[in-house]
Amino acid sequence: MTSTHLLFIIALAQGVLFAALFILILLNRWFRVRRSAELNPRRAELEAVMQRLALGRARAEEVLPPLERVPVPVAIDALVTWSARVPGERWQELARALQRPWWARLVRANNRSARWWKRLECARFLSVAATQHDLGRVLRLLRDRHPAVQIAAATTLERLTSPVLVTAALDQLPFLGSTVQAYYASVLKHARPAVLRHLQQLFRRLDDPRLPRIIEFAGRLEEPILRGPFTTLATHPDREVRTQVARALGKFPHAESVAALRFLVDDEAWPVRAQAVRSLGMIADPTTLDSVRDGLRDAEWWVRLRAGLALTRFGSPGRNALLATEVGGHAEARDMARLILGLSDQALAEYAA
Amino acid sequence: MNALVHANDTAILVYFVLLNSFYALLLVLSIPEIWEQTRLAEDEDFQRLMHSGALPPITILVPAHNESATIEASVTAILTLEYRNFEVIVVNDGSKDDTLERLRHAFDLYEVPRTYPEALPTRPLRAVYRSRTRTRLLVIDKENGGKADSLNAAINASRFPLVIAVDADTLIEPDALLRLTRPFLLTQGIAAVGGTVRVANGCTVKDGRVTDARVPRRFLPGVQVVEYLRAFLFGRLGWNRLGGSLVISGAFGLFRKEYLHAIGGYRTTSVVEDLDLVVRLHRHLRRQRIAYRIPFIPDPVAWTEVPESGRILSRQRERWHRGLLAAMWLYRGMLLNPRYGRVGLIAMPFFTFGETLAPFVEVVGYGVTVIGLSLGAIDLGFALLFVLVAWGYSMLLSLWAVALEEVSFRRYRRLGDLGRLLFYATLENFGYRQRTVWWRVRALAGLWKRGHAWGEMVRKGFASPS
Repeated sequence: MTSTHLLFIIALAQGVLFAALFILILLNRWFRVRRSAELNPRRAELEAVMQRLALGRARAEEVLPPLERVPVPVAIDALVTWSARVPGERWQELARALQRPWWARLVRANNRSARWWKRLECARFLSVAATQHDLGRVLRLLRDRHPAVQIAAATTLERLTSPVLVTAALDQLPFLGSTVQAYYASVLKHARPAVLRHLQQLFRRLDDPRLPRIIEFAGRLEEPILRGPFTTLATHPDREVRTQVARALGKFPHAESVAALRFLVDDEAWPVRAQAVRSLGMIADPTTLDSVRDGLRDAEWWVRLRAGLALTRFGSPGRNALLATEVGGHAEARDMARLILGLSDQALAEYAA
Repeated sequence: MNALVHANDTAILVYFVLLNSFYALLLVLSIPEIWEQTRLAEDEDFQRLMHSGALPPITILVPAHNESATIEASVTAILTLEYRNFEVIVVNDGSKDDTLERLRHAFDLYEVPRTYPEALPTRPLRAVYRSRTRTRLLVIDKENGGKADSLNAAINASRFPLVIAVDADTLIEPDALLRLTRPFLLTQGIAAVGGTVRVANGCTVKDGRVTDARVPRRFLPGVQVVEYLRAFLFGRLGWNRLGGSLVISGAFGLFRKEYLHAIGGYRTTSVVEDLDLVVRLHRHLRRQRIAYRIPFIPDPVAWTEVPESGRILSRQRERWHRGLLAAMWLYRGMLLNPRYGRVGLIAMPFFTFGETLAPFVEVVGYGVTVIGLSLGAIDLGFALLFVLVAWGYSMLLSLWAVALEEVSFRRYRRLGDLGRLLFYATLENFGYRQRTVWWRVRALAGLWKRGHAWGEMVRKGFASPS
């Protein structure tokens, strides 16, 4: 075979592919337009019946036929959208009704599918339609290897509280990115008692490398019962643990918190000192004013900034401390005080956020 | 002489086969990637995540130089993005027009003292402003230092751990930030995320938003729609699977700020600061043995105005290629270096021997073919067949990009627009491709003559809907 023959064969193959792609693109467009035209009236019917359900003018059983008439992804999208608008009792009734239809049973069975998007579909469905019978499925999905499936499954915890699910979710927590952790924190708030019990057990594992992440999560819950464990951890050898403790304690205005924070403002690690002065500013206990003012003379710029911002939360005494520092002998403290005093209220609020 | 022509011809044929095989690989890899990404884009409940407060806070960096025509609409559109926690830092980079005045008037700016350490060196700042009407907005006025310098100034002022560099003339989709943060929900160790930029010319724009996506009727901007689809939908998606994407568009890319600080921010002497930044990011993270990912998401997140005249387009393409040449030379130590993993062994060789050299090889190919034909060393039928195959392959890639758009995001709803896309995908190789090849070849000469000059980019601004 000569190179001309080879090129000829390639050109021929290209020509065939070119024509096939051209036809495929046009056929795809035609198919989608037709499908959309068929689907729109069914979607409208589903929306109407969902609206009636939300207003209490339709029973859960009346929703099932229109749901069955649309493709499964569309049905799940509609359920997810309407789950927030339909009152709880009526939604529970619908969730129970959704155990029977064949398509819902198929979706549930997908929790073991080899394809992640099928498992995601199942997790999204269960996030709004799970009942006590689905605990095993949700547990499996919470431990799924695909993060999108895990996130969708975690959403189930907003509606279905079970100590088993909470433990599974909390066990996953340290391995999640901070963004997903924050999301878990928001959904786990609904299962607070079970979460707190499990967290207190986790706090006892002092050499657990997951501890900083667990404290970060626990801080988000702002639960007074956790203040005790936080203050105990203020002397932990891991810098990251102390930073998270310093951050969390700002949300607990209590004498023990203040004592722990006083200790942490002298920490060797600057992130801990910065968080500690910030938290002291959040509590704004007048007896800590001197400790915060000392922060203005810290070697690290961020600690000085946090100290300056914290002083503004002490009211007049804090402002007076800043004014005194502005004309004081410490050059870096003077610059920071000048900078903070020059900020507008709005800028202060934004920096303190 | 005949032997020389034949040897050249064979070398070009081998080069052509190797390069196109790699493109074919990218094409194949883009299929599962777009399938997965489209599923995630459709299935995610953005509203729920938005209200959960879980999303990380973001700083949007907007460098502006002589952008008075579009600045107000762009900044307004950015300020009204659907995202819970973000700030916008606009840097007026010594504009000669009334960019700053327009900002001052539109957002009621007032001067504030600087409240941050300037970790990255930049040209002197003149003033920092906040807005009385938009609390999220911060405006920095500084001496002209170029886009990279402006971005560094904005990074210094940013408060949040993630930063997005946005061109002032870029129109952003309302849910763009939500989409761009998707990889942060799915994976740990994300160093940066690239988003898809589309062509805004011909589209209907209302209040800084593309409300109706259209394919321009004029050939030059129209053909760039296909180019952008090709570059983003299968080029970069394919690289997602290979793990070595070297480009995140400067028009819309999200970065972890701590890494930008670690590499010293944007390099002010580079003409393609986005490519330069990503290559340095890879280099730093590989050297530090930090596990990381730089994914790209295919969702259309931003729209940009492309040049409508050949003169402006030639400058832009020359600059892009000049920057590519300079970056490949500057970071040649990474080339085929196993220390840099897939980046050193796959991405750098592809960009060096493929993207950088391709126009030169193509020009040599045309030259050798003409010489070969005149000497009778090459058969006319063979030469025509060769050109047909080369162009046909390029057409297939363009059509493939159109097909990917059609099965995934379908932003061009009208049949007429689809027809125009197919038309441009077919005709791109007849004249336009050769022009771009010539501009890219000229970039080599420009490398010495023009250094890191940018050249003027004339913006028309976006028309309101009729």
